[in-house]
Amino acid sequence: MIFQDDIVNFGKAYAIATKDLAEVFTSIEIYGPMIGVPMFFAVMLPVLTFYVTQHSAGSVLSKLISTPASVAGISASAGLIFMTFFSISVLGPIFLTMPILTASVIAADSFAGEKERKTAEALLSTPITRSELLLGKIIASFVPTVILTVAVFAVYGYITNYLSYQIFQQVILPTPTWLMMLLSSPFLAIATIGIVVLVSSHVKGVKESQQISTLLVLPILVMPFAAILGIADLSVGFFGWLIAALAVADVLIIYLGVKSFRKEFML
Amino acid sequence: MDRAISVKNIAKRFGGTVALEKVSFASERGMNIILGPNGAGKSTFLRCVDGLYRVERGSVSVLGEDPYRNDQLKEKLSLLTDNYALYDYLTVADNLRFFGRLYGLGNAETMNRSREMLERLDAIEYIDRKVYGLSRGTKQKVAFCRAVLNEPQILLLDEPTAFLDAHSAEMVRKVLAGYEKEGKTILFVTQKLDEVTRFNGKISIMSHGRIVRETTIDGLYGVILRNTVVNFRLARPIKKSTAMRLPGFVEANAEAATLLKFRVGDYRDVSKTIGELLAEGGKIVSIDYMEHLIDDLSR
Repeated sequence: MIFQDDIVNFGKAYAIATKDLAEVFTSIEIYGPMIGVPMFFAVMLPVLTFYVTQHSAGSVLSKLISTPASVAGISASAGLIFMTFFSISVLGPIFLTMPILTASVIAADSFAGEKERKTAEALLSTPITRSELLLGKIIASFVPTVILTVAVFAVYGYITNYLSYQIFQQVILPTPTWLMMLLSSPFLAIATIGIVVLVSSHVKGVKESQQISTLLVLPILVMPFAAILGIADLSVGFFGWLIAALAVADVLIIYLGVKSFRKEFML
Repeated sequence: MDRAISVKNIAKRFGGTVALEKVSFASERGMNIILGPNGAGKSTFLRCVDGLYRVERGSVSVLGEDPYRNDQLKEKLSLLTDNYALYDYLTVADNLRFFGRLYGLGNAETMNRSREMLERLDAIEYIDRKVYGLSRGTKQKVAFCRAVLNEPQILLLDEPTAFLDAHSAEMVRKVLAGYEKEGKTILFVTQKLDEVTRFNGKISIMSHGRIVRETTIDGLYGVILRNTVVNFRLARPIKKSTAMRLPGFVEANAEAATLLKFRVGDYRDVSKTIGELLAEGGKIVSIDYMEHLIDDLSR
């Protein structure tokens, strides 16, 4: 129960969530780019990494990485170090933007979309509580985001392993760091959804809502550069702290979002 | 239920725009109509009664409860807005099943009620079609079906027949007449005088965010047909010279007249003129008049 005065009928929350998901997944124009683009990158980026590894790993490695990458017990050949470093510390954060981008698309459509398409009036005229509405819409944004992120990590992990095995007869992923990175994605998704709820009173449409919530990708995109420059070590410890910080931020953002949310914001 | 809706001195603004100012209203059993031009505040008023908007001043009571704070009240209440508010990418059936679930209805019950209503409105053939491909009229029928899904005690309607053909509009009116007979409360906002005169209920005229007059169909005709020219169409002509002797004669379309214009002081004169034309052997097939602008009524 989110509010003392609110009753949650999970059947109604579930109905809202399934309706939102049905809306997203009935039109290929909506779900096609949302799934297709990340999947394309999940294939292409490991292939590019493999190409660079084969042709110029040594020189790139000596220029980019000032300190020897201590990569979890894997053979110290330059190519393998490069491919491991790049697959985890560069591609990992890039794919970590997935939960933010996907959650922002679905959540913005779910909240601001009702306002934009003027369907909110009928929805809010039914006997649903604020908690049922928020719960339904948060589920509708969270579940596909996590599934899609796991799928993208699985595809990019598989391609990376397949390619690394071709040259080094070794698989690279998963490593504990990579798994921690994946574990942080639900927390990023919740933060994104919380921001969409928070800004729902101030935005007029889906685009505005998306633009504000996708600002979260900026700190994530700093990670690869920080790793390359040796400023940050994207280790298990780093992601442990990141998850802890995100968990606190999620509670705060969701609390503020839920507390400030009024149903008429959707009108 | 008498006085199912009681609104006292409410105000609502959007930014600097005053939408409602000092509006008070008490519903009566059956049909209650709010008539007013575009921008009068009718739709905002309806949304305040439905509890979608929080009023800034005054109070709204529906069945003795505040609709803004009591979500469960909406099990007994329903709103049909003027923009259909249907989910375009879902089928008609999926839309109705979704709303049925929010009203706590099972899918079978929802579909039974929906099929019955869609059949009455001649829209059953669209039940498995996605909403985005439907005409405006069909969307309005589906939206009406959704609005009565929960068999509400109070039905709030915003121009429910605006895009319907004559037959479908008549079907909707019959459904509403059935609701009236059951003693339910209907609050209907419109800008169409013609629509208002099809019902016999309490009429409130709204202008610039205020209810400026409360009247009845009798009172409304008293205004509409005050010092107005009325056309009488005849199946069997009468001589123009005969018509000219009748009080209020204005003009005739021919020596053997089938269209006559008379000026009436008020609507009671229409009956007198009909009697006189019948006495002269005229066979009247229709009577019409130039409809007033709603803005004139609210002055």
